[in-house]
Amino acid sequence: MSSSTLTDPKAPPPPSRFGNIKRAWLPEKVIHYGVWILAVLLILGPIVPIVWSSLWSTPLYEGGGSGTLDNFRKLATDPLWWSAVANSLQFAVFATIGSVLVGTTVALLVARTDLPLRRLYSALIVLPLVLPGLVLIVGWQSMWSKNGYATHLLEQYTPFTVPFDLYSVAGMVVMGTVLGSPVVYLFARGTLSSGDSTLEEAARCAGAGPFRALLTVTLPLLRPALLNSGLLVFALALETLGIPLILGTSKNIDMMSTYLYRQWTGSADGGGGVLPAGAVMLLLAVTMLLLLRNRLAGDLARFTTTGGKSSRPANVVKLGPFGWLLSAGVGVVLGCATLVPLSGVVLASLTAVLTPAINPFSLLTLDHFSAILTNPLYTGAIGNSLLIATVGAAIATACIAVIALVAHRSSFRLRGSLEHIVLYPRAVPGLITGMAFFWTFAILDQSGTFRATLWAVGIAFGVRALAMGYAAFYPSLAALGADLDRAARSAGADWWTAMRTIILSLLKPAMGISYVLLFVAMLNEADAAVFLVTPETQVLGLAMLQIAANGLGGTVAALGVIQLVITAAVLGAGRILFGVRPNV
Amino acid sequence: MSDLVITNLTKKFGRLTVLDNVSVTASDGQILTLLGPSGCGKSTTLWSIAGLLKPDGGSIVVGDQTLFNHDSSAFLPPERRDCGVVFQSYAVWPHMKVRDNVGYPLRLRRYKPEALRKRVDEVLELVDLSDQADRYPHQLSGGQQQRVALARALAFPPRLLLLDEPFSNLDAKLRERTRDWLLQLQRKIGVTTVFVTHDQDEALAMSDRIAVMSTGTVRQIGTPEQIYNDPADLFVADFVGTSNLLEGTVIGRSNGILTIKIDGLDQAIHVPSSIDSDGVVVAVRPEALALLPDDASTDGYEMTVNGPVLDRSYHGHHFRYRVGVGEQALVVETRERTDSSHVRVGIPRDGYKLFRPRTATAPKAAQ
Ligand SMILES: Nc1ncnc2c1ncn2[C@@H]1O[C@H](COP(=O)(O)OP(=O)(O)OP(=O)(O)O)[C@@H](O)[C@H]1O
Ligand SMILES: [Mg+2]
Repeated sequence: MSSSTLTDPKAPPPPSRFGNIKRAWLPEKVIHYGVWILAVLLILGPIVPIVWSSLWSTPLYEGGGSGTLDNFRKLATDPLWWSAVANSLQFAVFATIGSVLVGTTVALLVARTDLPLRRLYSALIVLPLVLPGLVLIVGWQSMWSKNGYATHLLEQYTPFTVPFDLYSVAGMVVMGTVLGSPVVYLFARGTLSSGDSTLEEAARCAGAGPFRALLTVTLPLLRPALLNSGLLVFALALETLGIPLILGTSKNIDMMSTYLYRQWTGSADGGGGVLPAGAVMLLLAVTMLLLLRNRLAGDLARFTTTGGKSSRPANVVKLGPFGWLLSAGVGVVLGCATLVPLSGVVLASLTAVLTPAINPFSLLTLDHFSAILTNPLYTGAIGNSLLIATVGAAIATACIAVIALVAHRSSFRLRGSLEHIVLYPRAVPGLITGMAFFWTFAILDQSGTFRATLWAVGIAFGVRALAMGYAAFYPSLAALGADLDRAARSAGADWWTAMRTIILSLLKPAMGISYVLLFVAMLNEADAAVFLVTPETQVLGLAMLQIAANGLGGTVAALGVIQLVITAAVLGAGRILFGVRPNV
Repeated sequence: MSDLVITNLTKKFGRLTVLDNVSVTASDGQILTLLGPSGCGKSTTLWSIAGLLKPDGGSIVVGDQTLFNHDSSAFLPPERRDCGVVFQSYAVWPHMKVRDNVGYPLRLRRYKPEALRKRVDEVLELVDLSDQADRYPHQLSGGQQQRVALARALAFPPRLLLLDEPFSNLDAKLRERTRDWLLQLQRKIGVTTVFVTHDQDEALAMSDRIAVMSTGTVRQIGTPEQIYNDPADLFVADFVGTSNLLEGTVIGRSNGILTIKIDGLDQAIHVPSSIDSDGVVVAVRPEALALLPDDASTDGYEMTVNGPVLDRSYHGHHFRYRVGVGEQALVVETRERTDSSHVRVGIPRDGYKLFRPRTATAPKAAQ
């Protein structure tokens, strides 16, 4: 062909190296298959040894043995397991009910009434989701247990008393409600502020009062969000380790997660085959719940509704003077649930002993902090956690970005499965993620050298946090029109070059958000560390969990304050830099 | 030569056939327009040419190079096709300055910095954006962004220029100006161009050839005049320009002459035609119709129709009347002004065409 017909007459002749277009150094196909295989190996692979060893008569790394159902039989005949299951179910059911009630009420008050101070309450109720959960539990211990500081003040100066014992299933339900309500709140709030309020307006035009419109139209609209978040809270309550370990240990109240924990720590053979069998049961339960939830909600649809836009809807219930009364009530409840325990942690960390008998301000001391900062065990744990969070969050963010690009911006054959794979860790309890990697490393690396490095812990933490980071990242990707990469492709960029120069460049803020959330999650992670840490690779979250399980002290509180300060600083920076928001 | 030859192109999304054996050709340096209602597969065709979609059948050849051939499993990825594409959404990259947007294809092709700068300046001048080179896209108007997209498509001299409804986001005035400007530019550069639009005026004004599409098939290919004056079927007649469609019944047939009774008319008309169905549709362009004074001669008219004026409107360069004909209405566009409530409309002898009626499955044209 003659080039004069193609080109502007004034165009220079194509450069001598014409045709030698810049290419990514890996072909598109290699990247796609590589990412997919890596994702499968890292995310699904480690589950295999657990399932396998639950069906095997000897530990896998010992060789020999044969297939058997014995482990499950042993589990089924252990009365302790059944009482743990009963406790777990009881706890999960009531914590879910509590969370749905509280979360929905606050969401309605904030989004559909003129309640005074509603913005403050909106921030307060999501606080437990944003801050490390362990710190809040420790704070509740210090303030609201039978010997708690606030309990004493309450009993001394008012006719009221705390109507539950924190160290009982009922107390754990209250704690679970505190931690679960923000999840329900965010979902309900998302529906209320993104859903259009024309239906409610229609009801009002038809003569319904605002309150009636709320009950007859708004509440039914919330049903999908409540079902969805309720199932999530239920699953989280089933797998949680922190609450039953910290609050249940002193009274020997076990749940499924602590049963597994004690099998691991309490017996010489690490629980034998009962442990993987129990783990498989817990995994099945949580996976089923989340599958059910996906069926009901659609996998990704849920992420788009949790953004929390705040445009004022037309249907606002005017509370009048009654509003201030209600506001005071809400404020007292939310304050007692969050601010009081947090100040309890701070107070406990700064006083020799936190007791109602002595004015705490006469006992101020920095001893707990200096004890931590001079103890290599703790400084090591803090250093390890910071290292894992800094490096791990960066690697995990990069993985999430690439996985999301292959899943949504490529023509890769298996791309549809990738999203399910990356979201799967959500359905795996943290305890079991750790166990899975423990078994995997034990089989692949019999010498144990890799298992003794921080990488072992870091990989498990990264996989655990993957789904959460993905959920934060994906909406931004979905919001970028596909024409942007198509334009790059036809301009001469191969797949990876188009992704790198256009899409990833545009997604830097989203990666920032993802990084911040992953950083915080990995800094505070405890459950997944249970099976993995060695004395050299202790991490902050687990260190806290372990001391807290053995009783409260100024040391735990001080560790909690350190955790709190780092978390708050990182989230604050993230909010200023990237507009990070609380995310479920 | 870089003729674009598309043969039997087929594309399915799941069980939905979006392109069904589409065959079109664009001659070297010419503008081929794909015209059709929304959802008919225009963009799909364009993206198949650009390599952004992989069709399920057929072939695409430019000059002597095969871009796609289903039978020999040939598929050139988009980055090797050297197509300049302007997207419906412009897809100007928001994080790059105008200059970097335009220079992107050149950087990928390892232009030296001076050569790159020179070429970018040249292309920006070509699209009248020289003074905007260092601004970001969000600082530009819609029309300017559109020109950035065009400059980017032209920066590395493309083998084919592919335009997907490039004017759809512009207001009417700007749209007309840009259309003329683009036409001139294309003539100057002489690049083979495929242009997608659902706007018939745009298609008629810009094209060397038009392919009218509907639900994944090509209904007619021809020059703008052929398409307008001699539509191949009812769909084309209805979609391109406006047509009065009068339903009629064949009441007699002899020696290839049909006698047709139009519902609501007393006289029958006699038309040579090979249509074998009982029902027919007579299509008449509104501007072909004339308002006749009562005493005017009817020479040159196939027939005249008397009817009440249902409504009238003024459109600047013509009046538009709707005249009742039995149950149906006839739209007349003429420069003549009349105030009477009854008029006589003349249908000129060669001013109408006969079509087989729409089958149940044929799509309704979007007007
Ligand atoms: N990725 C896809 N999956 C399924 N169906 C698709 C997909 N992309 C397009 N379609 C369908 O293919 C048909 C043709 O789409 P196409 O975008 O080519 O239409 P178009 O003629 O460009 O319309 P418009 O004028 O609205 O841009 C439409 O019916 C559309 O619904
Ligand atoms: Mg289109």
